[in-house]
Amino acid sequence: MKRETDYGHPIKSVYTPKDIESLGYERDLGDPGSYPYTRGYYPDGYRGRIWTQRMTAGLGSSKQTNEVLKRYREMGQRGGMLVICDRTNAMPIDPDHPIGRREVGVLGWPGASLLEFEELMEDIPLTGQSITLLGSCAMSSIRLAYIVALAEKRGVNLNEVHGSVTEYPFCSTFGQTDAQPLDLNLKLWLDSSEYIIRNKIHMRSGILSQHFQESGGNNAQALAVEMAMLKDLCALLVNERGLEFDDVAFLPYELVSVGSRFFEEIAKIRALRRMWAKMAKETFKARKEKSCQLLISVHTSGRTMTYQQPLNNIARCAIQTLAGAIAGCTAIDNACLDNAHAEPSPLAARMSLNTQHIVADETGVTDVVDPLAGSYFVEYLTNKVEEEAYKIWNKIEDQGGMIAAVQKGYVQEMLKESAQEKHREVEEGERLIVGVNELVIPPGEDFQIPIQELKAGDSEGIARRMEEWKKTRNMPVIDARMAALYSDAKKEDRYNLMPSIIEAVKAYATAGEIMGVIRKARGLTYDPLEVIECPFDLD
Amino acid sequence: MGKSGRTKVLISVIGLDGHSIGAEVVCRILMDAGMEVVYLGIYQTPEMIVQAAIQEDVDVIGISSHASNYGQIVDLLNLLKKNNLEHICVICGGTIPTHQVEELKKKGVSEIFPPQSTSESIVDYILSKC
Repeated sequence: MKRETDYGHPIKSVYTPKDIESLGYERDLGDPGSYPYTRGYYPDGYRGRIWTQRMTAGLGSSKQTNEVLKRYREMGQRGGMLVICDRTNAMPIDPDHPIGRREVGVLGWPGASLLEFEELMEDIPLTGQSITLLGSCAMSSIRLAYIVALAEKRGVNLNEVHGSVTEYPFCSTFGQTDAQPLDLNLKLWLDSSEYIIRNKIHMRSGILSQHFQESGGNNAQALAVEMAMLKDLCALLVNERGLEFDDVAFLPYELVSVGSRFFEEIAKIRALRRMWAKMAKETFKARKEKSCQLLISVHTSGRTMTYQQPLNNIARCAIQTLAGAIAGCTAIDNACLDNAHAEPSPLAARMSLNTQHIVADETGVTDVVDPLAGSYFVEYLTNKVEEEAYKIWNKIEDQGGMIAAVQKGYVQEMLKESAQEKHREVEEGERLIVGVNELVIPPGEDFQIPIQELKAGDSEGIARRMEEWKKTRNMPVIDARMAALYSDAKKEDRYNLMPSIIEAVKAYATAGEIMGVIRKARGLTYDPLEVIECPFDLD
Repeated sequence: MGKSGRTKVLISVIGLDGHSIGAEVVCRILMDAGMEVVYLGIYQTPEMIVQAAIQEDVDVIGISSHASNYGQIVDLLNLLKKNNLEHICVICGGTIPTHQVEELKKKGVSEIFPPQSTSESIVDYILSKC
């Protein structure tokens, strides 16, 4: 068995003060609540506020997902809700699109209109918990418009809503795909981000290393890619959109994928806090201490959840949850024991939420902040992953930064090689996975678990409903809003489309329609899949 | 068989699924085993896959599935039948729950490789069929 970090650095059998000789406490660690925040942002850690304990919801219709959200609350979800969008919505195309209707609602929530967001949020308050909608970058501005529109409809003060509904423009490169070109995603992300910042809305934007790492990237690469993305995107908001860094710094949140390499996962998160703090202060000249504190959430890793012997995943989830909790984070969402089979069943969801509560309430982990600080091994690993990440980040910078590196395919190639290497390591027995290449049992003897999936015909039902509902809308209003959106989308990229997207959403224009019109204004086909024609008379 | 007499395999992700890394890893495994590989990428409809299979004259179609959209794999099998292409062997890989494995095999998928299947098992199976 290999005794190396997941990024290939050899691990010794024992670590001593010599391994961290250069470590200066005040300079490199600081007390919790002090720069460079390696040890966390709060002197009293979880005593002041426990992490948000949440589970991903999203399967079938909006009404079905609403039911699941309510059930999660009863199961112990605390502090926030988390919904993932389906594949039609990620594109985005509408549920009644000839290709979309084959699989709408299959892998998430099909939030193609304000109506569906209203159904999703029925009897669920917009305030008092964080509202997080995950999906693609392309849909981000429309999701933000749902929040703005529903807050207005309910008479809720928009500034009291918090959470995150927008995501970074590179997720399409790392498996969370949409059907839009990078330049359009970048423009729309800048628009939504600028809108959030200028209007002082308390919504974050996910700039996540999770997708990269879940696709096969290693811990050092994940840190490097995260930092490269943060640097480029923050710089664009400052330089192109004319915003103050101290306002921009409130926007990003990072979802870290935490796997089972226990000490390395903790080191990664500690290193990330230090790397962001340094960049904020040294590169962006942050004036506020708060700007040096990157909001970090934890996703326990789907990629480590095995298909074989799925109950083993409960143990993996517990180890990863403990790692996330020890590292210090603002929220945790767990992968479930059935992650390699289907969407979370009620049993699997309950197990994952229980795991979080067991870690929080039974282990004592919430009593002390950053309990592993000073461990020769953990401090060594924290320094090492940071050092390796800086090397990889420098290579990305040599390509011209993250945007250029993605355009050249450099980051994609790095990811592909890493995924292949991980496959090879398991195949050759260099890394052991119980139930996969160790203690294997015949498939016939494997544990049976409940499987949560849609019934045949559910997708078609959602599609037909949208088809019928579309006919009932006030079309003259939609036509007018679409004409306005079209004309705005023809303006220069810095012209912010959020106001016209919000107006279109309020008139119940759908995601496919809104994105189609923006695409058309930019000389692209209305339908990214080139199946349907634009139903609006725009020119 | 491909022009060189080598086994020719088409690998694709189907429907709106965006998870491409598994498919890309399998492409590399098959190429390393000396097979000719046509990789279609993501957002491929059953119709597009059948058309490519005809154009490229492949022996095997491999579908990577991580998005529970099995209906489209069934659509692909039906389209192959309609075009008298039942001789093309269809295999799948990915996160497919066990009861769906049985269903898909009944409907004509030759073999299904769950996550973490070995390279050897995939290569040996394809060579035994072609």
